[in-house]
Amino acid sequence: MIRLENVTKVYDGGTVAVRDVDLEIEKGEFVFLVGPSGSGKSTLIRLMLREEPVTDGDIWVAGKHVTKLPSWKIPLLRRSVGTVFQDFKLLPNKTVQENVAFALEVIGRPKHVVRSQVPQVLRLVGLAAKADRMPQQLSGGEQQRVSIARAFVNRPLILLADEPTGNLDPGTSVGIMRLLDRINRTGTTVVMATHDHAIVNAMRRRVVALDRGGVVRDEHQGTYDPAEVAASASPAPASPAAES
Amino acid sequence: MRLQYLFSQAIANLRRNPLVVVSAVVAVFVMLMLVFSATLVRWSIDKDIGRWDDNVRVIAFLTDDLSSEDLATLTAEVFSWEEVDEVVYFSKADAFDEFRELFEDDEVLLNVVEDDPSVLPASLRIKPVEAGGYSAIVDRMVIQPGVLKVSAAEEAIDALVARSNSMRTFAVTVSFVLGAAAVVLIANTIRMAIYARRDEIGIMKLVGAGNWFVRIPFLLEGLIEGVAGAALAATVVWIAHPSIVQMLSTFSDPGALDVPTLYLLQQSLIVLAFGAATGLLGSVFGMWGFLRD
Repeated sequence: MIRLENVTKVYDGGTVAVRDVDLEIEKGEFVFLVGPSGSGKSTLIRLMLREEPVTDGDIWVAGKHVTKLPSWKIPLLRRSVGTVFQDFKLLPNKTVQENVAFALEVIGRPKHVVRSQVPQVLRLVGLAAKADRMPQQLSGGEQQRVSIARAFVNRPLILLADEPTGNLDPGTSVGIMRLLDRINRTGTTVVMATHDHAIVNAMRRRVVALDRGGVVRDEHQGTYDPAEVAASASPAPASPAAES
Repeated sequence: MRLQYLFSQAIANLRRNPLVVVSAVVAVFVMLMLVFSATLVRWSIDKDIGRWDDNVRVIAFLTDDLSSEDLATLTAEVFSWEEVDEVVYFSKADAFDEFRELFEDDEVLLNVVEDDPSVLPASLRIKPVEAGGYSAIVDRMVIQPGVLKVSAAEEAIDALVARSNSMRTFAVTVSFVLGAAAVVLIANTIRMAIYARRDEIGIMKLVGAGNWFVRIPFLLEGLIEGVAGAALAATVVWIAHPSIVQMLSTFSDPGALDVPTLYLLQQSLIVLAFGAATGLLGSVFGMWGFLRD
């Protein structure tokens, strides 16, 4: 579903954001990208969306060769990938349902599809009763649910989430994680960048740890820190050699 | 639904910055009003020149001592020139009749001429094949024996042609400057609209809106501004055209300057096309460097 081969991203000033990353994510997986700020998590997500070009290497996402994709095909790539961000990115002058419908309208879905899909996805995220509210009338957790509804309304194959719980309190974060888990169970591949230890340790999903742009650990049913791995005696790490 | 959506976005953009939009529309309006007016003034001047073309005559006044044989020889000679279309002999009596007709109210003048008819010489009135060919005829006529003086309405013709040309130069220069200003103003409105909607555009791209889907509302916005200015210009000039065509005309009869409706319609459509082109050009400049992918 997602494949990265020797991916390197160097910014104009010479800063290396991603260094020689190899990664393969199967259909239906739930993957945490963890690591400290500046470790390259967000850059990796931007590269997968072709928001930025790679400096070197190849990326395939949802069957598309992202690094070789002509610019007019980028919108097609983004239609098969839903995205969720820390700051929600909702339009303040549109209601909840208008924000969700917007994602379908701008890719030219017919009106009847918009009318049937939007209430359905709002029920899924538990906001059917607040469809006519404006974003600023909602709590942070509810706003993030709207943003997830917008990302999922088009039934993408992949959902990329960049620190989706970064602005939320722990209780609210649990609700968001349940929602992402539910979406994952529908077969959608979920890749989530985070530095929330509690969530990662509670979910026990695949963990890919990044440090200074490189992959330092990749384990199934992993935890946030390697020490916690040892303590929990989970299966052997996939790339122990990468640890320094 | 998509078309409706794109139009509603363009209209929303226009409403966001009414003052800037109005200044862009006014710039297009002033530019195209000038172009349209200049076109009509030129039309009337061309019509003037056309009228002159048919009536241009070189008049060669003859000395009184010219014998009838010499006159016949001279007439035949002049008629044989290729730039000459027609030669008519105007005797002293004809000249006197014409004079009496022209100055019938002026008794003093008439008395002077009646007392001494020799002040009105006989003449040859020569019609050139083409109006512009008059100067060659004048040059050949002045050296003919028995010719007293040669005159032609040359200054009037040259002045008209010069006026028509300077009118064109002025209109082209000013429209070019105003056109550039209009393009810049429209580009500015587009920039402001893009800036106002940058979050929305970011989200549109994130959820996979096509590049043209993002661009078209801005192109439409420029197009609407350009066409609105042009429509305003066409309307104003259409209403005011009777006085515009009179501006530089030498016609005394206003009826002679009735602009055919078909011509007005044709020119209005050209003005609208120019407005549309100005608007689209402004949009393209406004989006330049933005909205790539």
